[in-house]
Amino acid sequence: MVRRGLVTGFCLLLLTLIAAVPPVAAQAAKRGGVLRMAEREAPNLDPHLSVSFLTHCYVSMAYSQLVRFAYGPEQKHASDFTIVPDLAERWEYKNPTTLVFYLRKGVKFHNKPPVNGREVTADDVKYSLERFMAKSGFRARLEPVQAIEVVDKYTVRLTLKEPFAPLLNHLANPVYTAILPREAEAKFKDFNHPDAVIGTGPFVFKSYDKGVRVVWERNPDYFVKGLPHLDGVVLEITPDASARVSLLRAGRVEMMQIFGWSSVEEGKSLQQTNPELVLIPQQVMSQGIIYFRTDQPPFNDVRVRRAVSLAIDRKGWNEALLYGEGCTDAGPVPCAMKEWKLEAASQDPAKAKYLVGYDPAEAKRLLAQAGFAKGFSTPAFHWPGYTPPWRNYYEMTADNLGKIGIQVDLKPEEYGKYISTTYLGKFEKMAIGPVTPFTEVDDWLYGAFYPEQPNNRSNVVDVDLNKMLAAQRRELDPKKRKIIVDDIQRYLADKAYYVYLPNAPQYQTHPPYVKGFKHHDGYGMGYKLMFTWLDK
Amino acid sequence: MKRYVLRRAALAVPTLFLVSIIVFAMMRLMPGDVATRMVEGHAYAPTLEALRKDLGLDRPIHVQYLDWIGGILLRGDFGHSYWTRQPIWDEFARRFPVTLELAALTILISVVIGIVVGIVSAVRQDTVADYAGRVLAILALSVPYFGLAVLVVVLPSIWFRWTPVWTYVPFSRDPIANLQIMLVPALVFGVTRAGPIMRIMRSALLDVLRQDYIRTAWSKGLGERTVVLRHALKNAMIPVITLVGLQTPLYIGGSVIVESIFRLPGVGLFFFEALTRLDYPVVQSVNLMVAAIVVGLNLLIDLTYAFLDPRIRYH
Repeated sequence: MVRRGLVTGFCLLLLTLIAAVPPVAAQAAKRGGVLRMAEREAPNLDPHLSVSFLTHCYVSMAYSQLVRFAYGPEQKHASDFTIVPDLAERWEYKNPTTLVFYLRKGVKFHNKPPVNGREVTADDVKYSLERFMAKSGFRARLEPVQAIEVVDKYTVRLTLKEPFAPLLNHLANPVYTAILPREAEAKFKDFNHPDAVIGTGPFVFKSYDKGVRVVWERNPDYFVKGLPHLDGVVLEITPDASARVSLLRAGRVEMMQIFGWSSVEEGKSLQQTNPELVLIPQQVMSQGIIYFRTDQPPFNDVRVRRAVSLAIDRKGWNEALLYGEGCTDAGPVPCAMKEWKLEAASQDPAKAKYLVGYDPAEAKRLLAQAGFAKGFSTPAFHWPGYTPPWRNYYEMTADNLGKIGIQVDLKPEEYGKYISTTYLGKFEKMAIGPVTPFTEVDDWLYGAFYPEQPNNRSNVVDVDLNKMLAAQRRELDPKKRKIIVDDIQRYLADKAYYVYLPNAPQYQTHPPYVKGFKHHDGYGMGYKLMFTWLDK
Repeated sequence: MKRYVLRRAALAVPTLFLVSIIVFAMMRLMPGDVATRMVEGHAYAPTLEALRKDLGLDRPIHVQYLDWIGGILLRGDFGHSYWTRQPIWDEFARRFPVTLELAALTILISVVIGIVVGIVSAVRQDTVADYAGRVLAILALSVPYFGLAVLVVVLPSIWFRWTPVWTYVPFSRDPIANLQIMLVPALVFGVTRAGPIMRIMRSALLDVLRQDYIRTAWSKGLGERTVVLRHALKNAMIPVITLVGLQTPLYIGGSVIVESIFRLPGVGLFFFEALTRLDYPVVQSVNLMVAAIVVGLNLLIDLTYAFLDPRIRYH
């Protein structure tokens, strides 16, 4: 009996041990090596004083935030915006308008003067967030924050004017809410001086030869033990796009573009010249739209807008321009935003056809019903300088709409004018173009559809919709919020306030010896690279 | 002579004043503005206004101009970049030697190629060498230097997995490494600029070779080398030197593109980046500084002519 018990116990122990071992032994990360990248020069190094994504990418190497997104092995996909601890080891809502962050103890700033590796405290958090709210071009992001209080050395309390679900995402969005040491600002006036780039991030800013290269080295005191794997990162400043591709082709850098990113065309070309390169196609957080003056005729008539949507041959575009690798169900929530996306296929087909369908005959019928049996003409404002396939998009739109009787007069605009007028909804009748990538579903919904929002390019005013848009940003429970977001997507399906165009994929491109790098939509280069290692 | 120098120097002042007005006006007349560019797609209206106020763009246009030009004239302060907030003069002074070196190498290469090919073409008129030289000159004139630069960067990387050296090293630190990176862009730029020099050299030399005194030299039984190099070349060089002088602003202007393609951290790249970001103070000040250099060089050339030829200073 005892013997049988021993055998059983042994077997159970063995099974437990087997279960504890990963089924496929993942390749162990090697420490060491320097990763080289080619990218343009950042205009500034102060994360709060610059709205350039290049600045945020550069300095994300050196800074940390209260919270961050999941990266590398933590992330489920490229647009996984799960919030994980960073300098705050945990946080809790005391009530819907009071959020308390509890900081890690013993986290040290980089060991550089004038900060000299002192510990990060709640005072630094208060100083940094208040500086952000006073100076950053993105300060509207924390507009609902009423007060930031230091409870004790390791505890910070944020009091909000009203419940605001996107708050944690904005705090996690690299790196404009970076936690900075006040001594550096006192000495250097701002954080733009290379010696003022002092944070708690995975890499230490080592040297900056302007116009030539930037060098980071591993932070030996990084609070995540064992990370980063790389000894350092070198960024070769390369303004010219073709030169960046050449550097990758010739093996002079491991990544061109700060994201290790290439367009479909570049990816296909690289595949031919450098078949050894890893090329991973990915849907990324972007969107291309036709937008209208929905407050003025003829696009204030939903039948006209539906006709426009039905006239667009999305599948044909995808095959012809994107090698069939694009996404045709691109809005109102982008294809890549998987957690929040309600696929058109799972919606009422009668409504979803106005989102993704192609039916020129029905489009003509709708136009006739709306009083435009002979069609009409409209300008289509746009900026011709966007990278391929945008120019084809403009021409395809004109072609597709021409087939149902809408004569499109393509109106190219200078970039500055386009951004300051058309892009902000100040145009006549119709415009075409891409949308800035956002990491919060609120930006794609509230930002695009709520009245007076700068990204409400179609000038949408919809009282019923407004209630839902406001409700989703006040709902702190993600599951309940998702229900409202789904309702919004169902509601929007047949309104055609915007007509969504097929979304181009991008390729993550690097040599095979670069391991552990996973693309993530966002500008957290430091976070992405802290899991990266070189197998050579 | 002293009066002439003073008169010519005084004429430079209204020239630079006009340049300052034109550059300032052109920047403000460009569609969109720097504040819009700085907030791009995230342009929340209150922020945009606040940014304009921070940058002083909400002030009347003449106040903005006087503030800028006054800073230069009264305090020698060329202002700060809107984007980097760094002093423009410091950045210019740091980058100028790179542009100067590129220009010097380019001039050297273009002059050497232009003169050698021009001489061979003229001396061997209507032979294969002449036709080859003329074809080369036409090619150099026709191919835009920026197109050639892109091809030099892209094609070897596709065919041979080779690209030019990229990491800039100052000449003072390592002359050989410095020349390794400067040579390819200088060659690309120099070859295209050699086109007009080849043409002028050939036609000037042909013209001189038909002169009586050259015939006399031949009839004295002098060797070809002596006749061409010692007697003909000196006179044929005058239009070539004038052309090189006239091309000087092109070397500085062309550096904008060459430096951005070959990532040379010179004034051209500084200007190019500032222009793409509509960084008003940088574009204005760099333009004015370059204009001052060009005006200064022209003045120097004119004064040299006046020194050499007394007739000029009385005109």
